[in-house]
Amino acid sequence: MPIKWILHWQPNAGATVNTQIHTELSQCAESLNGVKEGRWKATLSFYRAMVREQANANEFPRDFLGISLVEQPTKYYLVIRGQRLVVEAESSIQMIMEKLQSYKMRVALNFEGNQYQLGDFRLRVGKVVLAHSEGLRGIVMEMEYLPISSWEKSHQIMGEFFDLWQEALSKSSLPGHFVHIEPNFSEFGLSDQYTSQHTAVQYATIMAQMISTAQSVQRN
Amino acid sequence: HVEALEILLQGLCGVHRDRLRIHELCLKSVPNLGSVSSEVRLLCDLEQSEPTWTVRHIGGAIKGAGAEQISVLVRNMAESKVSKMALRLFYALGYKLDRELLRVGFAFHFNKGAHITVSVSSINKMLKLHATDEAVPLTPGLQLVEVTAPASPENYTEVAAAVSSFCEYLAPLLHLSKPNVPTGVVPTAAAAAASLMSDGGGTTL
Repeated sequence: MPIKWILHWQPNAGATVNTQIHTELSQCAESLNGVKEGRWKATLSFYRAMVREQANANEFPRDFLGISLVEQPTKYYLVIRGQRLVVEAESSIQMIMEKLQSYKMRVALNFEGNQYQLGDFRLRVGKVVLAHSEGLRGIVMEMEYLPISSWEKSHQIMGEFFDLWQEALSKSSLPGHFVHIEPNFSEFGLSDQYTSQHTAVQYATIMAQMISTAQSVQRN
Repeated sequence: HVEALEILLQGLCGVHRDRLRIHELCLKSVPNLGSVSSEVRLLCDLEQSEPTWTVRHIGGAIKGAGAEQISVLVRNMAESKVSKMALRLFYALGYKLDRELLRVGFAFHFNKGAHITVSVSSINKMLKLHATDEAVPLTPGLQLVEVTAPASPENYTEVAAAVSSFCEYLAPLLHLSKPNVPTGVVPTAAAAAASLMSDGGGTTL
């Protein structure tokens, strides 16, 4: 499977993220002769433990996520990022979780937008919105390099493409920048060969980063 | 009797048998989790070149007068193949190992009015935690024969009838009943087994 970097938009201090930025990012992809291929979507849901004694709620993970990816329509991914756990399951796992009644889905986020082909690269620029709502919560970007499946081997070319992209973006003077965090995949038991489990881990990592950013903005 | 049953099944099903070696882990939620306690099973198929995992949730049986009339147990079941970290994930979610066992035997999968699976296995317990190489039979000398078929809410009566009807073919050798209803060895078993063994299934029982 081709390797993919998933990046999230970090607004400058005091700035917010809005639809205009998303539109400009999409236009930037098109300005690089990106061929629009269609729409894409990923969904991320937070599961919360149903506890009898609220005082002991902390004995259960608070970062348990369920993720669905458009490129894997029959699969569902479960991640507990803090414990470095990722599981690939069939979509029926959602029904099993529902029948167990031990965890309930609380909040769902949709990542959606347009997809562009740029030579051997595929770019997806997406808004982060709460399911069933309009408000923009963030922006993410997926950068995929089709010829290579090895995370290590692809590093240099991905870095070069990312620099190219940043340079193209700098012309628009947008109030923020894309951040690339590289999870330690081996801690999750994942190998150098890229899979959708790697994608799920990247989304969980971005989620943690976005929450931490939102919390520090709130504190300030 | 097991070898005779295998010959009989081979003749009835017309397919080759599959070997069965499944490590079944039953997990239960810890006391504070969920308004009611919940149970989930993780099955590891040890016959494959790479152990493959499945999560299974077994729900309640259908109840009522209609259920009493049906000679097979009809219950809800949900399953999902999962990758290898599933056991650790469920531990992290607050599930603990309640019991584990190892099923060793064989199974036939075929179509006869429904997608039927007949499995014949010995149920073994592990002397040490997860030690599948050191398992001993729970009931030495006895094997469990299970006949199952998937169904939907719309067709379960037809599927139940197909399963019942198939079980009739096994009658000379064994009698199957709903789980938890004891049966005992049928009087014709020894003769039927001898007949099957002597001419390798040519006899019509």
